[in-house]
Amino acid sequence: MVDFDPSLINHIFEETDPVKVSAEDIEKFCEALGESNPIYNDEQAAKKGPYGELVAPPSFAVSFRNGRHFFEHIPRFGQRGFDAGKDVEFVRPVRAGDEITLTSYVKEIYEKTGRSGSMVFVVIRSTLRNQNREVVAHVDHRFMNRP
Amino acid sequence: MRTFADAKIGDTLGPLEVFISKDQCRRYARSGGMDAPRFTDDEGARKEGLPGMILPGNMSLGLLCKFVTDWLGPEGGAKLQRIGTTYRVPVQPDHTITFHGFITHATPEDRTVEIDVWIENEDAERLVTGTATVQFPK
Amino acid sequence: MATTLDLHSHSEASEDSRAPVEAYLNWIQLRHSERPLDGIVLTEHRQFNRKADYRHLEDKYGVMVLRASEVETNYGHVLVFGVNEDILKRFDFANVRLDAQELLDEVARMGGLAVPCHPGRPNIGMCEHYRTKPPLNNVVAVELLNGGSRKGEDEQSAELIRRYGYRATGGSDSHLVSLIGLCATRFAADIRSIEDLVRELKTGQYEPVDFRPRRQPVTNAVAVEPR
Repeated sequence: MVDFDPSLINHIFEETDPVKVSAEDIEKFCEALGESNPIYNDEQAAKKGPYGELVAPPSFAVSFRNGRHFFEHIPRFGQRGFDAGKDVEFVRPVRAGDEITLTSYVKEIYEKTGRSGSMVFVVIRSTLRNQNREVVAHVDHRFMNRP
Repeated sequence: MRTFADAKIGDTLGPLEVFISKDQCRRYARSGGMDAPRFTDDEGARKEGLPGMILPGNMSLGLLCKFVTDWLGPEGGAKLQRIGTTYRVPVQPDHTITFHGFITHATPEDRTVEIDVWIENEDAERLVTGTATVQFPK
Repeated sequence: MATTLDLHSHSEASEDSRAPVEAYLNWIQLRHSERPLDGIVLTEHRQFNRKADYRHLEDKYGVMVLRASEVETNYGHVLVFGVNEDILKRFDFANVRLDAQELLDEVARMGGLAVPCHPGRPNIGMCEHYRTKPPLNNVVAVELLNGGSRKGEDEQSAELIRRYGYRATGGSDSHLVSLIGLCATRFAADIRSIEDLVRELKTGQYEPVDFRPRRQPVTNAVAVEPR
């Protein structure tokens, strides 16, 4: 069984400084993803969309980075591996002008074996909030480590 | 404009065949501050034991979100409420990938629809799998 | 009366699955003409849910739900059918390094059956382990068809079966609702319980069946380029 300090679980280890979102950031993101839905760049089209105004695409929520010292706070089991998947709950859209912070804690740690061998998964829950402290999204990142 | 009444269990989304070039992969990675060699350079990726450069997981997630929201269409009030993804096999750029979706559940009480979504490679192997929840307006 | 069962599936109780059991049964009912299943076996990762009771769902959908487990051993992953209290006391299913030979022997002694799954899969399939370790004794059957197999993996499993004379099963290994029943096992006998299943796996007549759709050739894809 994998060995770790149980007090890590549910303990908030990071809140990032606010990151301001510009219209240009959203435009660059759409361009990089090949996202051409007019509700993200055309005000008239956006009025008829689900939010009634210009917003970022939902997956913009996963583009916010954790702090520079993020990996120092989470347990490491051998080689750091890969992003194994994410579960994202979209609560509110991100708009140009928003200032987004991330608050993170270790949600779960478990061990399993798979195609690439032995793996330890560290699940981090990050909650994104805007400048009004409203929840924008919850993101569960599953990081796969190779012991 | 897609409505809750349109979404029937068993209905499909796609299949949609997509080609993501290495340049687009690099553009996405760099726009997100993910300039690690595994996402930008074949040789660097191979040094990590990968077959070549790969799409960031966030990009696969973003493309799956786009797959669902494109199916919903630009008009109307339907929103993507949730998506869960598992990255099973690295997705390589400069390959044709196919997006699939199936509506598996519809809940009239809260007007939500569950959709299985996944990305396949040219050998019909599932690279990324997941589920999405869409909420239609009342 | 013949019985066709998906012998390998994961519900949302497995950490990497998002499939509610009821949604599986609804899907089976919907897609019965393409995947004519009589039931499924839930083989949750590294656990066995003693308390789960799906009888109300079985009655509602007319589809049988049996419970088993998928555990992890030094020869890869193994499905354990006929899990009982003795087996759960003897083996910690959360241990990812169980001894496969002990598992095979003891589970059989205690009334169940252990069936190595996806033998052709790297690291967690027995084919790779047979290259460096002695073959296991008392293997009755292995999983030939697995709905999550990559190119060449089922073929490796087929070669293993030919070489060692193992019996063959099929299962979807589904973690998504729409993938249930892609592969299954057809039994000659009428199976109504986990005890029937264990008996038939040990001594009955059965064969793996493949309901995976024939793939269409990939047409020229449209390149998605940024605006």
